Amino acid sequence: MATTHEDVVSCSMTQTLSPNVADRLRAIVGHDLVITDPDRLFAYESDGLTAYRVVPRAVVLPETTEQVSEVLRTLHDEGIEVVPRGAGTGLSGGALPTPDGVIVGTARMSRILSIDAPNRLAHVQPGVINARLTEATAPYGLYYAPDPASQSTCTLGGNVAENSGGPHCLKYGVTSRYVTGLTVVMADGEVVRLGGAGLEASCGLDLVGLFVGSEGCFGIATEIEVRLLPQVESIRTLLGIFHTMEAAGHAVTDIIGSGLMPAAVEIVDNATIVAVEASVFSAGYPVDAGAALVVEFDGTEAGLDDDADRAEQCCLSAGATKVIRAKSDEERIALWKGRKKAFGAMGRIAPDLLVQDATVPRTRLPEVLARITEIGREYDLKIANVFHAGDGNLHPNILFDRQNSEELERVEKASREIMTLCVSVGGTITGEHGVGVDKRAYMPLVYNEVEMDMLRSARRVFDPDGRLNPGKVVQ
Amino acid sequence: MTLAEELQKAVPSVLTREWGQLNRGAPWQGGTPELLVSPASTEEVAQVLTWAGQEKVGVLPLGSGRHLAPVGPGSFMALDTSLLSSVDEYEPADLTITAGTGTSFDTVDAALRGNGQWAPFDPPGVSERSIGGFVSEASHSFLWTGYGALRNHVLGATLVTGDGRVLRLGGKVVKNVAGYDLLRPVVGGRGRLGVLTSVCLRAFPLPAHERVLVLKDSAIMSLIEPALLVGTAPVLPASIVVVGQADMLGGSSALVLRVHGAESSVDADQSTIEKHLGMSFDIVARTEADGLLNEIQDRGGLDSRCVEVSVLPSRLPQVVAAAEQVGVARAAVDSYAGRLRMGSNDMSADAVTALRLAVEQLGGSLRVARWDGALRPEDTSRRDAELDLTKRLESIFDPSGVLWPTRP
Repeated sequence: MATTHEDVVSCSMTQTLSPNVADRLRAIVGHDLVITDPDRLFAYESDGLTAYRVVPRAVVLPETTEQVSEVLRTLHDEGIEVVPRGAGTGLSGGALPTPDGVIVGTARMSRILSIDAPNRLAHVQPGVINARLTEATAPYGLYYAPDPASQSTCTLGGNVAENSGGPHCLKYGVTSRYVTGLTVVMADGEVVRLGGAGLEASCGLDLVGLFVGSEGCFGIATEIEVRLLPQVESIRTLLGIFHTMEAAGHAVTDIIGSGLMPAAVEIVDNATIVAVEASVFSAGYPVDAGAALVVEFDGTEAGLDDDADRAEQCCLSAGATKVIRAKSDEERIALWKGRKKAFGAMGRIAPDLLVQDATVPRTRLPEVLARITEIGREYDLKIANVFHAGDGNLHPNILFDRQNSEELERVEKASREIMTLCVSVGGTITGEHGVGVDKRAYMPLVYNEVEMDMLRSARRVFDPDGRLNPGKVVQ
Repeated sequence: MTLAEELQKAVPSVLTREWGQLNRGAPWQGGTPELLVSPASTEEVAQVLTWAGQEKVGVLPLGSGRHLAPVGPGSFMALDTSLLSSVDEYEPADLTITAGTGTSFDTVDAALRGNGQWAPFDPPGVSERSIGGFVSEASHSFLWTGYGALRNHVLGATLVTGDGRVLRLGGKVVKNVAGYDLLRPVVGGRGRLGVLTSVCLRAFPLPAHERVLVLKDSAIMSLIEPALLVGTAPVLPASIVVVGQADMLGGSSALVLRVHGAESSVDADQSTIEKHLGMSFDIVARTEADGLLNEIQDRGGLDSRCVEVSVLPSRLPQVVAAAEQVGVARAAVDSYAGRLRMGSNDMSADAVTALRLAVEQLGGSLRVARWDGALRPEDTSRRDAELDLTKRLESIFDPSGVLWPTRP
């Protein structure tokens, strides 16, 4: 947590929405889809980063591009700030309300508008849940590749705003690789079409790529065109058990260095294994293991066993005490269970969990992990590591109790040290969760003032008055 | 005082030359710069652009100079990046390489291949391109099916804006969402947002084995449907291209597939694709494959007139039918991406304009990549709102409007 707790936590509404504005919004979207009842507004006081809570003035839930446009025009004319919100699963406070702002939620814009199988494209509204798109395209032999851990609940609109990744983006890339076109409503209600499949040869700048990951500061995407991939023919999944994290890290380096291209390479540390095995999510990982490494390959059936053999050899050479290979889908799910249920398991052993997110060059992983352990010790904090080892994306998870203000202070200090460490080895402060409010104060670790100014200028290109998602990413 | 003298006064250390002293090795398209300036560092580039921004002197960023989009008439200086030539950082285990933008693609490729890696991109004339020009242009690569677009694999860059500010964009890691992604519009931005001085690229492991498969036919049109069908096969090749009248195939047109993987999987993939199509492919001998792949890579892109078209793949048959007057018989068509490239030395502007209209009616777009004379046809027009955003974005990177002052 970069921004101090006191900076943003405010549970009182500074002002309610005037009846006149509320009535105009109800005239656009319908009476029930403008929420002003304080009891119902509490459901929107935070996103997945629950350490920060602010009750919004109102929540509006439009269902079409036209409604979003009219809503934003109305709020713009009234000078009211807008905080866009998808499913609210974000982990950086990107959808945290502002005390004077209105949330415009896209949850009800949940229609898959079309699936164009011959061209491997889908047009969706932003409220479509990530996993639902893959389910809907499966009958065509297609799927949507980005698979954030929250894919069963997060929405495509949120994925676009955050440029979400996931375990399989080592091979397949993050959201920006798959978004080909957008319909965007700007802060003043103007509807703009950006990009589009078939228009790649035109000479424009890549505004779609710029918009993806803009965390709701540039506009609200109301229609999203995404590229789909053919379903993979086969999968091989391995689980390597190691005495030490360092050995697991060396195995990763050897696997990638040997020319293999796994679809996913994930590591959980001992603290995480212990938490998982003590929970209802027990996956059978040995609790005395220093680390567990999940490696997955996908592709043509014929080459997969060779790849898996080579990866297994890398694990054994690096000191794995055991390597298990899934022989069925059920076994594959079981091998993944310890990784996929890690966050849920940790939630059971501490009142609060700060899911940190940073990326470092893969070769620097062992030293960074060792130092994170030291930082935990220095601040007397329990830190459990779950991470996408293949692309160096760390998730040091700090367990704490936010009712304990002294502990919260230590969490904030430890977080800053971890971020500073990651940047110092050539990494960055967030790989997939975004900046939001959580990492805003860390931005100067990455950018100098000239670069920060350019980020602010880019924001003004899209939103000259700064009414969209104020206080997020850059001030 | 001449422009050179004024610049020397402002930036004494920088190398300036007469334009004629640059050995470009290829015909120059367009107006002649008054001056050639060759900075040797990011700092010198920043000093030059600070001066240019203040004095409102137009600047044409120059990589190898061989693949520039057409330059219109007018007064400007060329900023040559050839002295920014070095591989600055290469960590094979991280699959990343950072190089100065004047470094040739060949130099970077050689460093990668020495470690069993490569940068899987093959725009026309790639080997002679500078890394800066390669990234600024971001031309379509026929390896798109297997590896995606270049813009997804440029991890970071150092950019000097039109008024001399130095920006570090992105980084050296694959996943990075710290702040707005200002790198994306720079890749493929054709120098409109600034001068790149350093670029970090993602590298890929070299495939253990490559097999090149061909299916020949006398006409390009009859190969489009099989090519589209390959895109629906359970396994995807790294590249699916239809090439018209290939010299390396004795003038025959062909559907050419590049299949990458372990030797056993390449066998299996070929078998799967052939079964899916109900057709058999010929395997191109390795000794001939490189020549064929080079011909496809460069097809049309080195001619004095060249257009590129993008369209939804399912509409390719209609585009090919509409492109007869633009030399489609010798086109290269990436059927999976929906991209066509056609070049010739005598393409008519009227024919290109007619094709552009047809392509736009099919929901696609057309770009004039090279044009060596007057009466240059227009590119696909942009939507007004998108154009407005583009102009506003350009204005924050280049407030004085000095970059590419004469671009059409």
